[in-house]
Amino acid sequence: MSANDLPSAPSPFKILVASLLALLTAALLLFGAILPAEYGVDPLGTGRVLGLLALGQAQPIATEDMEYRVDQAELSLYPTEWVEYFYRLEEGSSMVFTWDATGPVTYNFHASPDGAPAGYAESFDAQDLSTGHGTYIAPFSGIHGWYWENVGTEEITITLTTAGFYSSAEEGRARAAGYKDLTDIRGNPVPSIP
Amino acid sequence: MTLARLVVFCVLITAGLTGLNGEQVHAHPMEGTNAGFVQSVDGPAPGPFLYLGAKHMVTGYDHLLFLLGVIFFLYRLKDVVLYVSLFTLGHSLTLLIGVLSGISVNPYIIDAIIGLSVVYKGFENIRGFERLFRVKPNTRVAVLVFGLFHGLGLATKLQEFMVSENGLVANIISFNVGVEIGQILALVGAVILLGYWRSRPSFASYSFATNTALMIGGFLLAGIQIVGFVLFT
Repeated sequence: MSANDLPSAPSPFKILVASLLALLTAALLLFGAILPAEYGVDPLGTGRVLGLLALGQAQPIATEDMEYRVDQAELSLYPTEWVEYFYRLEEGSSMVFTWDATGPVTYNFHASPDGAPAGYAESFDAQDLSTGHGTYIAPFSGIHGWYWENVGTEEITITLTTAGFYSSAEEGRARAAGYKDLTDIRGNPVPSIP
Repeated sequence: MTLARLVVFCVLITAGLTGLNGEQVHAHPMEGTNAGFVQSVDGPAPGPFLYLGAKHMVTGYDHLLFLLGVIFFLYRLKDVVLYVSLFTLGHSLTLLIGVLSGISVNPYIIDAIIGLSVVYKGFENIRGFERLFRVKPNTRVAVLVFGLFHGLGLATKLQEFMVSENGLVANIISFNVGVEIGQILALVGAVILLGYWRSRPSFASYSFATNTALMIGGFLLAGIQIVGFVLFT
């Protein structure tokens, strides 16, 4: 039993004082610090004095230094043919995308961080769909983009529109002469993604 | 007030508020990527749910403070096992029944009750009921009843994120087993530390203060939730 092993039973007065002190301390901490910091409510004015109010204010706008750009591409694919379309994004930069294919495709979205070994890529989304819309926020600086493959029996067209903060938008696909060598806007070679 | 009346009162409050759902701002939420994962789950995923259950317990200071209060004056391992089993029985019952039957309580209310359970335990440990009100609540029944509330909290939190019915039972059971693993991990540490502390004279001098501090923690947890309920519901 938890009944109890305090050396001497505390007096009712001591228990009452301790309980009220506990309540008072909790109330002071709650109204003085926690409410201003967590909920932005400042009944005692302590949040303003201690600068705690700023903690509770979410910052919904992130500004970008990079130039805003919009790109549109129409990519046609014969059956079994594939194409990649990728972007150079810095960590935390975002783009909004929408794409539509006129026939069935298998696709994935993958990214290769700067400095990663050649051929290394992280895949974020791989499905069989013929359309996709959304926002991408780069988890690291590097090359980010789609791979599409025509899995149908007809020639198809993929219409891709992106808008956001990236420094290059490039198409890559297998050519008769091998892979096209890609460079970013600074002229540096872009690592290819398998 | 007898314990039986207290239990009926708590159940009525909870039942009355069932179905109300506020903003999802909690003292102890499931965060960012974990929540995103749980939402995307479609089918049994025992490993991740086991981990999430254990993490929820080990990082859940509300559950930890209550357990600390429960074992504070339990000297024998037999008693620790008995009381913790009662707590486990209570929260497993409401976690399973809660998720399976879709019972979800307003998270602010349930978290406030969990905070008050910490206050209750601290107050009981300084012999408040006995000396101030001349009643002696049945400590076993109390730990079981508060276990039921803690489980309802777990169920409510899990349901906020679980979207798919596919593999639901396997995932709740995995989450529950994870909770027990996390609880055992936390308890082993607490029992060892308490055992060591009890052998020192400072335990007798500071046990009253420690349980008063436990009440502060409980009042804080409850206060945050009550204000959250007022502001966001």
